[in-house]
Amino acid sequence: MELNGSQTLAATPDQVWSALFDRAVLEQAIPGCESLEQTSDTSFSAVVKLKIGPVSARFKGDVELSDIAPGLSCTLSGKGSGGIAGFAKGAARVTLTPQGAQTVLDYTADVAVGGKLAALGNRLIKATAQKLTGEFFANFNTALTCEETAPTA
Amino acid sequence: MTSTDHIGQSHRRENALRHLAGRGRFVTDLALPRMVHAAFVRSPMAKGKIVELDVSAAAEAPGVVRVFTAETLNPICAPWTGTLDHFAGMKSAPQNMLAEGQVLWAGHPVAMILAHSRAEAEDACELVLLDIEDEEAVVDGDAALVEGTPLVSEGIDSNLCFRTVLETPGLDEAFANAAHVVEDSFTFGRHTAVTLEPRAVVADFDPSTGQLTVHHGTQTPYQFQDVYAHQFGLPDNKVRVIAPDVGGSFGMKLHVYNEEMAVVAASLKLGRPVRFVADRLESFVSDVHARDHRVSARMAMDAQGTILAMDVDDMTQIGAISTYPRTSVAEGNQVIRLMGAPYTMPDYRGRLSVVFQNKVQTSQYRAVGHPIACAVTEALVDRAAEQLDLDPIEIRQRNLVADDAYPHVSATGYQFEKLSHHAALAKLREIMGYDALRAEQAELRKQGIYRGIGIASFVEITNPGAAFYGVGGARVSAQDGAIVRLTPSGEVHCAISVTEQGQGTETIIAQVVADQLGVTPDQVKVTTGDTDTTPSGGATWACRGAGIGGETALRAGRRLQAQILAIAGAVLQAEPATLALAGGTVVDKATGKERITLAEIGRIATYRPDTLPEGCDNSLTAVQHFAPTGYPFDFTNGIQASHVEVDIETGVTRLLKHWVVEDCGRIINPLLVDEQIRGGVVQGLGPAFFEECMYDDMGQMTNASLADYLVPMAGEMPDIEIAHIETPTLDTILGAKGVGEAGTAAAGAAAMNAVNDALRPMGARISQTPMTPLRILTALGHV
Repeated sequence: MELNGSQTLAATPDQVWSALFDRAVLEQAIPGCESLEQTSDTSFSAVVKLKIGPVSARFKGDVELSDIAPGLSCTLSGKGSGGIAGFAKGAARVTLTPQGAQTVLDYTADVAVGGKLAALGNRLIKATAQKLTGEFFANFNTALTCEETAPTA
Repeated sequence: MTSTDHIGQSHRRENALRHLAGRGRFVTDLALPRMVHAAFVRSPMAKGKIVELDVSAAAEAPGVVRVFTAETLNPICAPWTGTLDHFAGMKSAPQNMLAEGQVLWAGHPVAMILAHSRAEAEDACELVLLDIEDEEAVVDGDAALVEGTPLVSEGIDSNLCFRTVLETPGLDEAFANAAHVVEDSFTFGRHTAVTLEPRAVVADFDPSTGQLTVHHGTQTPYQFQDVYAHQFGLPDNKVRVIAPDVGGSFGMKLHVYNEEMAVVAASLKLGRPVRFVADRLESFVSDVHARDHRVSARMAMDAQGTILAMDVDDMTQIGAISTYPRTSVAEGNQVIRLMGAPYTMPDYRGRLSVVFQNKVQTSQYRAVGHPIACAVTEALVDRAAEQLDLDPIEIRQRNLVADDAYPHVSATGYQFEKLSHHAALAKLREIMGYDALRAEQAELRKQGIYRGIGIASFVEITNPGAAFYGVGGARVSAQDGAIVRLTPSGEVHCAISVTEQGQGTETIIAQVVADQLGVTPDQVKVTTGDTDTTPSGGATWACRGAGIGGETALRAGRRLQAQILAIAGAVLQAEPATLALAGGTVVDKATGKERITLAEIGRIATYRPDTLPEGCDNSLTAVQHFAPTGYPFDFTNGIQASHVEVDIETGVTRLLKHWVVEDCGRIINPLLVDEQIRGGVVQGLGPAFFEECMYDDMGQMTNASLADYLVPMAGEMPDIEIAHIETPTLDTILGAKGVGEAGTAAAGAAAMNAVNDALRPMGARISQTPMTPLRILTALGHV
């Protein structure tokens, strides 16, 4: 299943870039995130609770960042297991383009799901994934804006 | 009502009123004291190695009684392997209840949790830690055969399960000399049964007596009695399988499944009742699927449109493991043997490749192989007609085996006792108003309305003997047994091995027995579906309830008739040969005058046998088994027609009308025969237009819920008009053949021909099922 989209964020590419690697920002932004730990400079492990149609599950997973061109682009790849609900794995290529004072973030993701999640149909999962992506960027944007207004120490 | 000639009369299904009154007794409804509920942890991946399986947290969860894994459960069950000797060279990996080390399809059971409720068992499933190292799944049959592709499972040395070729010596010459050759490639999708009641089992082992009782929603209780006895090392007289009301089976409920075996094993271990009822989501990833064929085929004709030969290659994809005990090869085997069966086609080559991949097993489902063979043959016949500019009726008239040319042996070796293709074709033409429909079609085309008419002739395999499975070593019975007795009050009871899943078996058995004993069918109580109370037999598979079960009941009834007349003769001091049974009494054969009632015979034989002359046998119970002899199968025949309208802008097909002319030999109950045909047609149209199990390239089924998997609905189905020809088989006294699969055999073929007839003015053609709007638009070049 392919997901792609574009988001205009109210921050400069550098601000967006550092937020993408900021554990606290990500924890706020990821829908249903219960915990997020940074395990190295380029990897995180997360516990996320999600409800997709009739299936609700707590996913435990790892995310790895690679192909890093600082301030410009990177690839996030990861896989998560939701127990009997199934699993999800995938990779997303993220690129940042400045647009005035703002930044356009483009992403292309290839996501595969298995088990009950897959059985329930791509239709449901794609809609849910799009909704979750929307929530993520709304939260992410809010976090960015907050960081901007609140002077950093 | 008179007391004879109930055979041939319409009688309502005996159990329909009980079901309507909410008095059905399904395994799903059964609750036994101390019963625990099973839920299964299933592999989310299509293929992989189990790296870690930790059930300790699940075992501590609320309500959980016990958790089993392969390590703790599999040792008490002998593994089973779905191969048979008559499919020479076929192979399949041995199976056991829970996955050992390797998972082979998304849905493969890995652990079993038993709890006080299904909800608690499901909650505990979430606490099982299952870590599977993902491996590349084999999802496509053609790719599976490419060198270097990983093996689908351990225990096999190639992904080819079975290959065979049938060929007549004149094949190449027939094609070399042909005036015309038509060819096409076909894809037939995977679909599944979607029974109203999912698979259900309650196993109840009593350690104090060593008795295992399994309440099992199955069509073949004796087969499962044997399977449980053998796999768990129990004497078969201590294994009782009870199949009460069953909410649909269609072939899906005669295979051995991991879950049912695990439930029996758990009951043996725990010494208490264990229940498993599949929910709809797990049904989709554990019930057998059906079909999944890719066929390329060509047909040779002479200049007059006489069919000379067919050359067919079928690749069928059966999932990770062949089913037990009937194998997953029978479907493909019937596909290549039924090709061209209605026609006087002298030469033939059929090549079959049965291939594994990491998906749910496919296996026998209503009309095994028939819809594929029929769709391919009939599509090519229509294409030949088009090429030769012949009407589809005309080309069939030229090629169908003549009604007076029997016995006939097909190019694939099937022996036909007597069929009625030409009579059926003539009747079809008449009831559907063929010529008027053609005129209407031409008229509507001018208005941009595209209607199509499709025709499909077929034969159906019924009343099989041991040639089907027994000769290959399968412990699958092709005989049946009945016990008929006269009660002390003069009523009749029949216990018989054929079973009832809503098709009306019990009703027709009552009709047959009633006629032998001169009573009405409502005086005959019929018991089925319990291995302790009925004799052993094949039960329900491959269209045999009426033909074989009916003959068994008839012979048992006649045996009891002779016993009754002997007792009556002794009481009346008359020659038994001068007496007969009618109207619930013994009558004088010549005059019809009543001599003594059956109630009186029952009373004397039961309570006053001392008054019978010495040496007079007072038995009022007769036992009879019957195994078919003569032809290996009693073939039936028929023809179907479909009338459709295709919206060429949207690709949506509207089914306008469907006709069936069918010859199932002696008709026992016209009402129930028509019900069987209608239901069968719907199960043929479903996969032709709607039903498909869709998989992604990782082997995940992506529409495994009724939100996404389309079953045919009443609103989409056309009126189905039915007519009959009756050509009884001479192999039995009764003369009945099977009818349960006839509708399914040719409905899809007729529909595909109808859609292609509608698309013809646009030069478009479709040869893939289901014929979805998207596929039709693709054929039209719109997408």
